[in-house]
Amino acid sequence: MMPDITQQGLPPTQAAAVTAPVVYFNGVSKSYGRIHALSDITIGLSGGVTGILGMNGAGKSTLFKLLMGKLRPSAGEVKIFGMDPWKNPMPYAHVGFVPEHEKMHDWMTALDFVSTFARLHGMTRSEADTEAKRVLNFVGLGDVMNKEIGRFSKGMRQRTKIAHALVNDPKLIVLDEPLQGCDPLARTTIMNVIRELGKLGRTVLVSSHILSEIERITEQIIILHQGKLVALGNLHAIRERLDEIPHTIRIVGEDARALARDILTHPAVFGVSFPNDTELLIQTYHFGKMHSELPRLIVENNHKVSIIDNPDDDLESLLHYLAGGSSS
Amino acid sequence: MTPDDLPSRWSGMDRKALAIGEFTLRQQRKRLSTWVVLLVGMAAMGVLTMFYIDAMTRDYEAIDNDGDSYDWDLDGYPNGQERLYGTDVFDPFDHPGILDPSVQPDDRSVWINEDDFDWDALEEGSFGYDDNGDCLERNATASQKDANQNGVPCDILIQLDPYSLGETYEIISDGNVDEDPDDEAYALEAIHRSFVLAIGKLGVVFLIGIFVPLFMATGLIRNEMVSGTMHFMIAKPIARGEVFLYRMLGFYALAWVYLTVLIALLALVAGFVGPGEGLYRFGDLGVWFSVWLASIMAVTVYGMLFCSLGVMWKHGMVLALPFAAWELGMVLTTLGAPETSILRFSVIGWAMNVVDAGAAIAWSDTPLIIQMGLWGGGGGSLEGAEALNLFWSTPGLGLGALGTIVMSLFVLLFQAAACWLLGSVLFKSKEIE
Repeated sequence: MMPDITQQGLPPTQAAAVTAPVVYFNGVSKSYGRIHALSDITIGLSGGVTGILGMNGAGKSTLFKLLMGKLRPSAGEVKIFGMDPWKNPMPYAHVGFVPEHEKMHDWMTALDFVSTFARLHGMTRSEADTEAKRVLNFVGLGDVMNKEIGRFSKGMRQRTKIAHALVNDPKLIVLDEPLQGCDPLARTTIMNVIRELGKLGRTVLVSSHILSEIERITEQIIILHQGKLVALGNLHAIRERLDEIPHTIRIVGEDARALARDILTHPAVFGVSFPNDTELLIQTYHFGKMHSELPRLIVENNHKVSIIDNPDDDLESLLHYLAGGSSS
Repeated sequence: MTPDDLPSRWSGMDRKALAIGEFTLRQQRKRLSTWVVLLVGMAAMGVLTMFYIDAMTRDYEAIDNDGDSYDWDLDGYPNGQERLYGTDVFDPFDHPGILDPSVQPDDRSVWINEDDFDWDALEEGSFGYDDNGDCLERNATASQKDANQNGVPCDILIQLDPYSLGETYEIISDGNVDEDPDDEAYALEAIHRSFVLAIGKLGVVFLIGIFVPLFMATGLIRNEMVSGTMHFMIAKPIARGEVFLYRMLGFYALAWVYLTVLIALLALVAGFVGPGEGLYRFGDLGVWFSVWLASIMAVTVYGMLFCSLGVMWKHGMVLALPFAAWELGMVLTTLGAPETSILRFSVIGWAMNVVDAGAAIAWSDTPLIIQMGLWGGGGGSLEGAEALNLFWSTPGLGLGALGTIVMSLFVLLFQAAACWLLGSVLFKSKEIE
């Protein structure tokens, strides 16, 4: 399966050029004894932001570690700028990597940390210092860069790691779960940073196990499940395919039955149920359409609604559907 | 898209080396365990130095080996003085005072350490001089005065022991020649040299040389792999072998400075406290320098090796300990049998060669001093002689002192390079989670 990525934001000339993709996996498998962490992954990526979605243990980190030359593929080939990262570390001159590990060098200040590791790119002390200050300002840590990392919040630590990865002005940025454990403010900052990088034409790979997070960053996604590539392409296109299966929407409001009467008139709805007096469950095939029209229905009929959510509109049900679809 | 501006593998190595080295140094400095290890090492050497200072400030009993300080007839003249003037040691009315001109009685102490060693080389030949005349002036026949039958009356014959295959000397005295050496002077000198050799070889080169790398270098790469912080370092355009080497350089910066300070302190204390005519024993500096060289090399090889063992297995310490035990066996072997060829398969054997050869240059008279002390005037060995004999070794390479040092340093450098290569290959083939 060759990747089919018609990704927006990429100038057509660049897309047409016959060059090696920035990131290229060709039939890559990785197994630990009898456990298959990844099987037969083929992806080629150049430019723009790509979200790698998957549950914990789906193989996202393994994919990144193969890319960063930390693991050796059991089969297939991994290329980064056309070179094998296991054998040659030099492509990393143009790569920034944000590992998922929590542990950092807590005794260093953010500026120390970023500039020390910048020097591994061959920068002089003063170059590294200048660049470190630039990227720390970019991620919004300019005012605390002389504080020890040990005193930072989770979000600040993540941003420090991102700054460290950007210090060499990389063409490829790989972020492993950068939003995990971050407060909403840090989350927004990090998402903005990632989108910004995408706009600058960098190739960005960002992993997450939360669909809504990735949705806010990019539309181009890769979904991994149990080490297999189950979907690749535009998130909305994948979402549309969800309409082919029945879906549940949960609404909590003052009068569930009154609400049900109004909603049942909608053609997309094929069933309702009431777990209790205030809760309503709607069954629908046209999930996307239903979601876009629900607010209007509620407002027009003057219902008081406190919660609308989708008990199975999460990654798990998406995966369930995608995996089920591929096996049938 | 292949960037055409990829840097070369060889570019900016100095900057990367400095960055990682400096980082490692700072990281070690921030760790409590570093200071514990270094201070314990310093304290252990300090305790040993206390014993040494005690030995240097103690009084050593002056032993009258030939008994000529006694005055058997209680006439006030020591027996030795009476024998010198030919008067009767048992007759209180016959003494040098009745001679013409009359001789004043000597103080007893004059006749205690009155016949010191008069040798200046450890080689075959006739040595010694009967300072107190109890051989030369003795009322005896010429053949009695030449008991060793070398044609020289009242001397000491040194010859190669025919049963030792020409390795050790035997000492045959005519009797009452150099029989009453200065016990205290000998003990101070011998104990001083023993201390410098013992603390230099066993304390600094072996114990500090092996324990500092054991605690500080074994986890240098492994700890970062376990905690995940290694990802920051190797997701960079830098070869893993380089990361390994530069991290070691950071460790060396600390270990080498530590050894230098430790040895300088020991040299300072021992130089001022040790016996000697001058204020400071400058003659020892050659030995201290060879201790410094050997310990630097030992730490270098052990550091590389232990760091590699740490990369090999997460419990690298478990692999390092049997090796340390092997080295302990080897260091004991260097004391007793420095020429044993099994020592070639150790690190410490080569490091000890450096110290032994350095001491052979700086203290070339030590074999003579040992022989004198073991002979001790014929009345048993002097205090300090056995110790000096134990800690003094002659390297068995047969290359001469300077050749031994050059050869040993070369081998140690080779060992360090081989360990670095091993570590680099292991590290390169390691998958990092």
